[in-house]
Amino acid sequence: MADFTAEVYQNEFLPEGGTDVNAIVTVTCTAAGSAGQTGSGDAGEIIIVDTSGSMGRAKLEAAKVAAAAAVDQILDGTWFAVVAGTHQAYLAFPLVRSGRGMVQMDSNARYAAHQAISQFRSDGGTAMGTWLTLAGRLFDSVPELAQRHAILLTDGENHNETPDQLTNAIRGVTGKFQCDCRGVGVDWQVAEVRRIAQALLGSVDIIPEPDQMSQVFAELMQQSMSRGVADAQLRVWAPQGAQVLFVRQVSPTVEDLTSRRVEINPLTSGYPTGSWGDESRDYHVCVRLAAKATGQEQLAARVQLAVGNQVAAQGLVKAKWSDDEGLTTRINPEVAHYTGQTELAEAIQEGLAAKASGDEETATKKLGRAVQLAAETGNEEATTRLRKVVDIDDSETGTVRLKREVDKADEMALDTASTKTTRIKG
Amino acid sequence: MTEPAAAVPPAALRQADGSLHCPHCRAEVAATEAFCEACGGALTPTAAASDDEPAEMAAPIEITRSIQADTDNQDTVVLVRPCTNCGGVIGADGYCQTCGTKAPTERDHYTEQPASWVAACCDRGVRHHRNEDATAVAAEPAPRSRAVLVVCDGVSTSIDSDVASLAAARAAREVLVAQRPTGLGTPASRVAAISGAVVKAAAAANTAVIDNTALDSENAASCTFAAAVVEADLVVFGNVGDSRVYWIPDHGSIGEPTELSVDDSVAQARIAMGTSREAAENGPQAHAITKWLGRDSPDFVPRTGSTVVNSPGWVLVCSDGLWNYASEAAALQSLVAEISTPESDPLPLAVALVEWANSQGGKDNISVALARL
Repeated sequence: MADFTAEVYQNEFLPEGGTDVNAIVTVTCTAAGSAGQTGSGDAGEIIIVDTSGSMGRAKLEAAKVAAAAAVDQILDGTWFAVVAGTHQAYLAFPLVRSGRGMVQMDSNARYAAHQAISQFRSDGGTAMGTWLTLAGRLFDSVPELAQRHAILLTDGENHNETPDQLTNAIRGVTGKFQCDCRGVGVDWQVAEVRRIAQALLGSVDIIPEPDQMSQVFAELMQQSMSRGVADAQLRVWAPQGAQVLFVRQVSPTVEDLTSRRVEINPLTSGYPTGSWGDESRDYHVCVRLAAKATGQEQLAARVQLAVGNQVAAQGLVKAKWSDDEGLTTRINPEVAHYTGQTELAEAIQEGLAAKASGDEETATKKLGRAVQLAAETGNEEATTRLRKVVDIDDSETGTVRLKREVDKADEMALDTASTKTTRIKG
Repeated sequence: MTEPAAAVPPAALRQADGSLHCPHCRAEVAATEAFCEACGGALTPTAAASDDEPAEMAAPIEITRSIQADTDNQDTVVLVRPCTNCGGVIGADGYCQTCGTKAPTERDHYTEQPASWVAACCDRGVRHHRNEDATAVAAEPAPRSRAVLVVCDGVSTSIDSDVASLAAARAAREVLVAQRPTGLGTPASRVAAISGAVVKAAAAANTAVIDNTALDSENAASCTFAAAVVEADLVVFGNVGDSRVYWIPDHGSIGEPTELSVDDSVAQARIAMGTSREAAENGPQAHAITKWLGRDSPDFVPRTGSTVVNSPGWVLVCSDGLWNYASEAAALQSLVAEISTPESDPLPLAVALVEWANSQGGKDNISVALARL
């Protein structure tokens, strides 16, 4: 049985009249076990591969190898399916026309899936909404599934659907399964695919070269199989009259959870976190309270991780009003670090968006700020990626110049990795 | 402790040696206690408190909170009483499940009433995060017979003063309760014997403070000491620091309200040199004390004195949490006249004085111990 712990990092001291309490809560899961193997229900995996005409021979052959590598990582007993996507969605495996659209993995199924994948032909357009909708229906056909995960590969823009059609399709499957999305090459839209990944509690990344695909797919599937906790919910209790200003995941990536709120009871909000393996995730919670008299103490939030309806871990966020300036002006390093990392992600995304629309002034300003924040918060990976897009004159002041020649893949990699954060250096 | 419990709390756990322990924090508890003295957790008493026995005869209470203990351990205390702020349910983490107010622990606010004519109330106040004051009182059942009142005020800049002050007050009480008049003696010899006991009580309190100070503590726990022993109309008192003993005769009766003790403080030194009391008690370092108990105490021998009272009134032992807002004995007399009930019950008066100090701002912890004469 998985164990969860919660640790709180904050400065609980507020000055007279102070109302806003910030805290970082680190939730750690250990002994998670493997997906579908912990007795709490079966796991299901769907591999969705873009087989549109734009894939061409080289990318399609690499995609076949990658899909087969992912199939090899699926544990026996796990329900699975393979979907081939163009302007329509096809169930490539299992070869059924009705009933259950997924089968349990064993050596025969693995062999048959390899055969089916080898038959992929590139043809037609791209309509990712239809791929997601089919995956949702396939998962629905196996009621005993407790954990549902998909890998989606695309190489191009969503030409054959309007943004609204994609939005509706995403909405239709949100909460039904998690989806990690990968784009191969440089002809796909980061923002479009990020929209899918964020709604479906998954990751988004670029695979610049086709021959890198099979390793990425194998790793994604391994990671999914190591998530033995099918689903968990972050819960935030705040006192009557208080306002939860925001709830953000800040590590390993920045995800604003505020809008995903569901009400548990009038004082408690729930936020989906998807499945868990052995890992730590950090959350930034900000609560606004009514100020109390100096010397008073109260609880600002109970931050809990719930599995099913059981609270598996709880951290207490406190508020103590004090007239001791030495206490109230202290800045908690974790809160400061992640506040900087969140701003870093925004600066990168806004800077790249400005650059794409030809607004070089804004792009220079935002990416300069990003360089400054990456240096301040010690995010060397972000600094390395930023260096490929801008020339840095002075990282301390954030003085940069946009590079004239930028590799498109580097720019997309900066975008997809913008939400990745580093932990504070102990 | 008069409020009904929402659920039946667990009984104390009995160890192989017969001692009883708190099911919440494992501190040793007495069979008669409804709350653990160490953590404030609710208990179901396994024995009724006996009426014909003075309260001081109850098993000595050990203060077992480790001096290195993380204060976060308090979070695990289960309180069954409703929230003092909104009446909501207190969670297992010690905070209200509705408004988040921290539930006071038994250490934050407690009252004692060993006999109908003696009571004490000790409170965290408003501005401080912990209650580092402590009271310990004892009395024989018959009104105006024999009573012991002790107040210790922990110095807030030192570590673990809350644990040390409670240990000190109880150690002093034990010494003073054990000291009994032997034979008839002359009034002078009685005073001398009791004064000697007050000096011994201060020494015992000093030892208790040191025993509750971590060896490697860089900021040794320390506290004040004020005690009064009442035997019929005789009041013998002593103090170290700025906790005080007052005689407050009833309004309209003969006798002057009197501050019996003399502070060991910078303010008192200025008053002795001619500064007005008001100026001295509000001047710089007014609250700096010149004597205290603890490992770094330069001198813990109390200044003692005695008086014989000849009118109805109150012996009041208190910390500066009260007298900050009413320093003159006459001001306290007016205050007592204003808020005391005609029944002369000491507990409601002690609680009312604490509430009054809180209403004045509650800048410090507040201790009030009273004996009705």
